[in-house]
Amino acid sequence: MLTDQTIAGCHINGAGVISPQKTYDNGDFLSELTYYDDNILTCILPNFKDYLNPFQMRRLSRMLRMGLSAATICLREAGLKKPDAIITATGFGFQWDMGKFLTEILEQQEQQLTPTYFMQSTHNALSGLIALFFKCMGYNSTYTSRGFAFETALHDALLLLQEKEAQHVLVGSFDEVYHVQYTDYVRLGYIKREKVNNIRVFEAETEGTLQGEGMAFFIMSDQPKPQTWCRLKNLHMVYRPSDYAGLAAELIEFLRGNGVAPSDVDVLVNGVSGDVVRDRWNLDLQNKYFDHATAVRFKHLTGEYDTAASFGLWLGAKILKTQTVPEAALVSPSPTHGPLKTALVCNHYLGKYYSFFLLTL
Amino acid sequence: MQTQTIEELIPQLKVQILERLIIEGMDPEELDEDMPLFGEVTGLDSIDALELVVMLEKCYGIKITDAKVARKILMTVRTIAEYVYEHREI
Amino acid sequence: MNRRVFITGYGVITAIGGNGPENFASLRDRKCGYGRLEFLETRYQDDIYCCEIKLSDEALCRRACVSTGCGFTRTTLLGLIAIREAIASAGLTDQEVRNAGLVSATTAGGIRELERHFFERQDLQSSGDFITFLDTVDPGEHMERLADILGMKRYLATVSTACSSSANALLLGARLIKTGLADYMICGGTEALAKITINGFNALMILDREHCKPFDQNRCGLNLGEGAAYLVLEAEESLKRSGKKAIAELTGYANFNDAFHQTASSPEGAGALKAMRKALNMGGINPSDVDYINAHGTGTENNDLSEGLALETLFGVNVPPFSSTKPYTGHTTSAAGSVEAAFCLMAFENDVIYPNINFKQPMEELNIRPTTALKTNAGLKNILTNSLGFGGSTTSLLFAKC
Repeated sequence: MLTDQTIAGCHINGAGVISPQKTYDNGDFLSELTYYDDNILTCILPNFKDYLNPFQMRRLSRMLRMGLSAATICLREAGLKKPDAIITATGFGFQWDMGKFLTEILEQQEQQLTPTYFMQSTHNALSGLIALFFKCMGYNSTYTSRGFAFETALHDALLLLQEKEAQHVLVGSFDEVYHVQYTDYVRLGYIKREKVNNIRVFEAETEGTLQGEGMAFFIMSDQPKPQTWCRLKNLHMVYRPSDYAGLAAELIEFLRGNGVAPSDVDVLVNGVSGDVVRDRWNLDLQNKYFDHATAVRFKHLTGEYDTAASFGLWLGAKILKTQTVPEAALVSPSPTHGPLKTALVCNHYLGKYYSFFLLTL
Repeated sequence: MQTQTIEELIPQLKVQILERLIIEGMDPEELDEDMPLFGEVTGLDSIDALELVVMLEKCYGIKITDAKVARKILMTVRTIAEYVYEHREI
Repeated sequence: MNRRVFITGYGVITAIGGNGPENFASLRDRKCGYGRLEFLETRYQDDIYCCEIKLSDEALCRRACVSTGCGFTRTTLLGLIAIREAIASAGLTDQEVRNAGLVSATTAGGIRELERHFFERQDLQSSGDFITFLDTVDPGEHMERLADILGMKRYLATVSTACSSSANALLLGARLIKTGLADYMICGGTEALAKITINGFNALMILDREHCKPFDQNRCGLNLGEGAAYLVLEAEESLKRSGKKAIAELTGYANFNDAFHQTASSPEGAGALKAMRKALNMGGINPSDVDYINAHGTGTENNDLSEGLALETLFGVNVPPFSSTKPYTGHTTSAAGSVEAAFCLMAFENDVIYPNINFKQPMEELNIRPTTALKTNAGLKNILTNSLGFGGSTTSLLFAKC
């Protein structure tokens, strides 16, 4: 991929995450676990009334309510009234609204259709709604680059900050569980046919993963603040690496270009998904280069979706901020117990889209 | 076809409007039948208007195809009731 | 780094032509692609007009040199045809293509194919033609197909900001070149007509049952279209190395949000005004230096008033000639930004300003009127183009002739 040495990093000054675990409360860190047995993990929702009144909530789909709430949580955490720019990312967008509109079209012979479903199914409906809600007229975009959607959004935010077009960029990702996608993915072998409890997904040793969903918003800023979580130093994307050696070389070169050796990484956040076929290279990277580090993983908590790397980013950032590693995510602690200063998120999506995020304090 | 009076239609329409627009946690009686529906107080917008057009077709068989005509009819709950009284098909 | 960004090639397919020259001939000859739908089934077949590309999916497969039955969505096929023309027109070698970044835009993606078998595919036991389209619904899928066929891996992105999508794709590509992250970017967008799109716009009551009339007092909506267009963006240094001549330079761009309503533009066009102003500032030119504006001009009551007022505020009564080319191609939604950017490049190449077709009666609220005659020997040096989308998206691009 493009060499990213010319990109300067940024500071993560706030986050708002809604996921299949109770993560919307920034004061908590995965202290309680939620279990799922049918291969589908759905979000634990905050009380929307804490963020929206009945008129503001009218007609809004679940995802849009979640999005506005997560954005509000994030901005409150960052101490901001509004961001300078808004960038969102999604793989499949608003599938429920699109599906409801299509169902009406097919069942009602294209008559008496609900315009709200159509309007709320366009992929940038959330970034537009957030702009409206917070009266932000700044740069606004939405990326749908499959397994790189969130990465594209982050990269664009870094670019905006470097261009001095913004000081605080709200970057958010969202994807939702949907039965049509679920069925398609089971057929394709991307999601397991046999039912597996989410916590045990890594023991299954079969092809496929679990379907998940989630929403993650971050404030990326050009300056640190007292409430800064950590720094996102840089990110890198590798599309369809031809072999493991090629992938490993990209990772090492990425770290080297940012003045980091594998031995400097204190925390490895591994985006393995429980797919024994497609997880192979991520596991090899972990074993080869990071057995000295504290290793954590997260897709047993969230399931898999195009923008799941955002949860990995949240996890790595929160570990650095709190200097604690939640039991729920821990794979193996580091043999040395020093301070946690550098975290690397290594994600893959369907064994096709590989991304690395380098986080430092 | 039902033969309700305008006064009978008003409370029924209030329920239907709140349902169609998915406004939760509001008592239909709180909706003033003479208050402008699309003003500062409620913040209802053009999409809400389109939703109400669909509701009128589904509940009363009334087809409105012109956005300008729709705006006139949807001014208040009372103006909607008056239009429904004159033009309902079901 | 602040490198200059040049356009060295483009490709376009719409209802008025299967490639650049055909599109230009239609624009010049006032030949519109407006008619009844032939390849998409809908109860509105005899009720609405669309600008449909009169080629079946099978014919598009042949043009795109791919086999049928391999799950290529119509959106992807249109994109493949246009991107190949862009690459050829820029004279890029295979290696240069592999080194380039790709930013492609679509919002519909494979929903046209999803519509055909939506209920069947939900039953795990069922089988049928839809099997080849299983993983093609989402917008990013077309990006993957284009990248895999062309061998592109360096940078891949898909933009989905509704009607401003491909303009935003061009904007992102330009920024990546400017900041030194890439030397070549291939950027644009593609969108095929789908039932969801037709019914969506119909439910919003913004489809004109006749031929659309942008900026006309009696306008009442848009006609939907389909198409694809890609531009090849190159950094100044790589241009010097190759000795190639560029068609134009992308000298200014801006993306703002109207923050007014989820689908409508603000009455005074605040977002559009900011975007145009910033694009001009960035390009270092005054409003009076603009020679032509290719407006978004969809023909809806709301857009044309909003955009019209923004134009009048920025340019005053001496607004440069402006027109909407949407009566020709229909509103190609996600592809509109890049299709119209390609038209701007053709305008430079032929020194022509396109007419705003179907304009009869000026809008009461505006003191400005679009240009209605085709103007040749126009002396074009700077062209501005606008793309305004749902979600309040407002993007403007400024091109300077080379």
